[in-house]
Amino acid sequence: MQVRKNRKFLGLVVLSAVLGLLAGACGSDGEVATGGDDGFRIAIVAPSASNDLAFSQSIVDGVGALTGVSAVDVTDGTFIVDDAAAAIRAYAGEGYDLVIAHGSQYGGSLQEIAPDFPDVAFAWGTSADTFGLPNVSAYTAASDQGGYVMGAMAASMTSTGIIGVIGPIAVGDAKLYVDGFVNGATESVTGITVNVNYIESFSDVALAAEAAQGHVANGADILTGTAQMVVGATGVAAEHGAKWFGTQSNQTALGPDIVVASQVYKWEVVLQGLVNGIKQGDLGGESHTITLENGGLAIEFNEGVDAGHARKIGEKAVKDISAGFTETGA
Amino acid sequence: MIVDTPLLELNGITKRFPGVLANDDVYFDVAVGEIHALLGENGAGKSTLMKVLHGLYRPDQGEVRLHGRSSGITTPADAIEAGVAMVHQHFMLVPTLTVAENVALGLAPSGFILDTSEVAERIRDLSSRYGLHVDPSAHVWQLAVGERQRVEIVKALYRDCRLLVLDEPTAVLTPIEVEELFVILRTMAADGVGLIFISHKLGEVLSLADRITVMRDGRVTGETTPSETNKAELADMMVGREVQLAPDRPGFEPGEVRLAVKDLRVAGDRGVDAVRGCNFEVRSGELLGIAGVSGNGQRELAEAIAGLRPVVDGDIKIDGAEVTGRHPSEVRAAGLAYVPEERMRDGVVGEFSVAENLILVAHDSEPFSRRGILRLGKIVERCRELVERFDVKTPTLETTTATLSGGNIQKLILARELSGQPKVLLAAQPTRGVDIGAAEYIHRRLIEERSAGNAILVISEDLDEVLALSDRVAVMFEGRIVAVMDVAEATVERVGLLMAGSGILAEVP
Amino acid sequence: MNEFFTVASLVFVVGSGIRLATPFLLAGLGETIGQRSGVLNLGVDGVMLLGAFGAYWTILETRSPIAGILVGIAVGLVMGLIYGVITVSLRAEQGISGIGIFLFGLGISDLLFQKKVGTPMPIRGFGDLHLPLLADIPKVGEMFFQHSVLVYIAFLLVPVVAFFLNHTTFGLNVRAVGENPAAADSLGVSVLRVRYTTILLANGLAGLAGAVLAAELGIFQQNLTNGQGFIAIALVYFGAWRPIGVMGGALLFGMVSATVLQWKTLGLVSGAASSLTAMAPAVLTILALVAISRTVGQPAALTRPFDRGQ
Repeated sequence: MQVRKNRKFLGLVVLSAVLGLLAGACGSDGEVATGGDDGFRIAIVAPSASNDLAFSQSIVDGVGALTGVSAVDVTDGTFIVDDAAAAIRAYAGEGYDLVIAHGSQYGGSLQEIAPDFPDVAFAWGTSADTFGLPNVSAYTAASDQGGYVMGAMAASMTSTGIIGVIGPIAVGDAKLYVDGFVNGATESVTGITVNVNYIESFSDVALAAEAAQGHVANGADILTGTAQMVVGATGVAAEHGAKWFGTQSNQTALGPDIVVASQVYKWEVVLQGLVNGIKQGDLGGESHTITLENGGLAIEFNEGVDAGHARKIGEKAVKDISAGFTETGA
Repeated sequence: MIVDTPLLELNGITKRFPGVLANDDVYFDVAVGEIHALLGENGAGKSTLMKVLHGLYRPDQGEVRLHGRSSGITTPADAIEAGVAMVHQHFMLVPTLTVAENVALGLAPSGFILDTSEVAERIRDLSSRYGLHVDPSAHVWQLAVGERQRVEIVKALYRDCRLLVLDEPTAVLTPIEVEELFVILRTMAADGVGLIFISHKLGEVLSLADRITVMRDGRVTGETTPSETNKAELADMMVGREVQLAPDRPGFEPGEVRLAVKDLRVAGDRGVDAVRGCNFEVRSGELLGIAGVSGNGQRELAEAIAGLRPVVDGDIKIDGAEVTGRHPSEVRAAGLAYVPEERMRDGVVGEFSVAENLILVAHDSEPFSRRGILRLGKIVERCRELVERFDVKTPTLETTTATLSGGNIQKLILARELSGQPKVLLAAQPTRGVDIGAAEYIHRRLIEERSAGNAILVISEDLDEVLALSDRVAVMFEGRIVAVMDVAEATVERVGLLMAGSGILAEVP
Repeated sequence: MNEFFTVASLVFVVGSGIRLATPFLLAGLGETIGQRSGVLNLGVDGVMLLGAFGAYWTILETRSPIAGILVGIAVGLVMGLIYGVITVSLRAEQGISGIGIFLFGLGISDLLFQKKVGTPMPIRGFGDLHLPLLADIPKVGEMFFQHSVLVYIAFLLVPVVAFFLNHTTFGLNVRAVGENPAAADSLGVSVLRVRYTTILLANGLAGLAGAVLAAELGIFQQNLTNGQGFIAIALVYFGAWRPIGVMGGALLFGMVSATVLQWKTLGLVSGAASSLTAMAPAVLTILALVAISRTVGQPAALTRPFDRGQ
């Protein structure tokens, strides 16, 4: 379904690649810019819109926060893996210093492409697998940690004792977050019910909204959800006065009156080291995880909503997890 | 009734298409209350002339006058306004709508809300006045072909048509329905409606028309009245030379049974059995003709014999060998030659050359190929001979088959089928849409094959053709052979009644 | 299963099914009118997306849901005009033209969203309209009479469209043109005018369907419709080209989706079975389609351009 403008972007990429080659042929030595603070260029290939207030936006914001980068190019909306693979290859061929394949579904493509460009550094996530390649870095988020924190807060805030969770498909980052959230809620307050509904789609906004309706109808007064289709669910929460916990990006804009807090990914924490390493000639080959402890994960509170006592519970949970006192995962 | 100005005058119509002179200075007129037959072969220019009348074509020269004034018709709406209607060969009806809705369609709406009760009332009036029996509330898809035609006529009458064109209206009717239609048309004429009756059936034209105009190659080749002429003369005018309408049939000496069909049942396209228990035999040296109105199982019967349609029950033997449900190639090997009804679909590959079509069945065997390689020399040699022997008029052997006329394509198929020395020849609608000259030739060939000792089965909706060719006549109705008789006993009346399903009546002298 | 068969749960499922059915119903009714005149429009989903964005942006800027709905319809009409020129006047192949419209709508709606809005901002739609008296009936009121005004409009359009097709003079023209355009033409009915009109109606309703989706969800996102337009087309076949049948199909689809959702919310479906049950609406629709398509014929002239000379 998602053949979209990335084709046009791809066309531009190819066109600029051709123009670049022409310029190189006409110019003096055709050297591709590597190293040097002025010339560091990063390309991002992401599956959804770069301003989705969710997964894709997190990497774009993360790269934007890096220092020592001169240019960033983004191809977003590459839901179709073949399109993403073409974009990754085009960027690598064009001589970008770091090509980021932001989607666990791109791993197979990357494994084929990376060996063809030994001088280009690649990063992909969320995953911990570098395929044993020296120029591939993997990154992932311990999103269960933030999930746990917000679950604990939600449990202390609910008056009905019922919390609703909307997930896409029970895999990867979404599963980590949801499992962490459920653990946080149920371990903090006994007798809490957490209804989890994986709607089996990353893109069905209407179904996500209706899932939120279902949670509310079943008594939930606090909702959370992960992946880009939850934008429909926040509207339902607002309509019924239910509170919302966000993840992946700061979702306060979606509901200034109901979003209590958001778990925010700060990929720059691991990417900055990678960029610095590449400039020194180290193309990576390692796996990185952002956590509460290393500052890659942050809980951002919405000052417009008074979380009261729950905020203290949240801050304590962050400390405990960072110190390794609390198990958060499944 | 004395009327000075003719209802319609076509004065010196000339219409050219690239490379073709479709109408060449044609004069044609219809008086009030007159039935004027327009006779001619396919391509003689009748359709072009009618399209000029309807304003679909603008003539290069000449003028269309209605009631003595320039007609000014350029769209179907204009034609209706001017009182000109046409009953097309392919009915212009919407099957999913009722009769009343079909009639109401396109009428100046009396409001936004559709009310067909008034329409139905007037249809009933017209029905009783003209003997046109139609039920306004019936859906058209439920109606038999004859009834649909009556709906078309009602549509015209409802719109107060003064001039009605009927394009080959009898092609789909049984002889009895033809008689009924003629009664209706004569009543309309008596009411002052002018009628143009387009046909190539000479007998009908002679019995119905007040006046007959014959066209050939875009020109009027004769204008006459039934009392002044006869079938042979009309055929000569149509073809441009002397035509033998009924082939000579030398003595009938039947031999052993070559094709035997027993208790055959065949499924139709919609799941219901189209052939429901057929029994007949065809002997060597015999031509059996199967008469019947279109859609009574003839096509399915032919396809089942040829192996192209699965058999539900019963059996088919060719020369004693069981071929029921066999692959078409096995049926061929047993000795069947097949001239299909849909010649462009089943008979030839339109995009292939004449030569390719001529060897289509035998191309993978000697002498046309050896070890999978086509032997062009042999093919050309053989094709030249066949084209000559079967009088296929084609510019070259490489000509694309689809560009040939219907008659020549049919001769090509016949040449190919007969060149395989078959034991049984099955010819379905062998001369439908074929010009008289080619039909005459095809008829002669069929009789020759029969006299040479082959068994010939002809399935045709043209009763005249069946009666002219057959030694014995079978009649098919609703999937069954309802009667088989010697041709001497087969009168038009008797066979006509059987075709209409009146089996008992037909047996009463 | 006992949790599911409580009154409250069933009441919710019915209400939820009705909400989910509404965009399918609106788009399906429009497509029904188009197909009855012989025009297939595979671009419904693209038109819905454009209508959705048009409505979303308008509401975002003006805070007026009514203005948003009107803009959604207007966007549909413009797309209808384009589709009419392509398929009726230029007689282009309908299947591929529709796919073109879909891709155009998918791409342009997202491009405009990125350029004009960027980060998704929530909007306020109509809110629920509790019908006087009816809404107060216990349970029944909650199921049927506490919806957005747009839901009532969609369901009211079912008898309206049925009456239009079956009991108006123009409806007769539509049916005739869809079955045998040559016959209609021979009686002076303008095939061109009929088809332009039905295409405009169909696309106007598709635009409305998209607008309803955006207004009800209160948000826009790339590919917001998620293929709903294509399901609406399937529902037209499912409904055997009758408005009441299309409504039945939309409700079946909506109710099954709602039931599956409720099962999952109540934890009645295990993780492994979750993806299977998520396919249930589509699978049921396909099965019903297969069964129905054997018995009912489509409009005979569907997808066939009309050319008087031929």
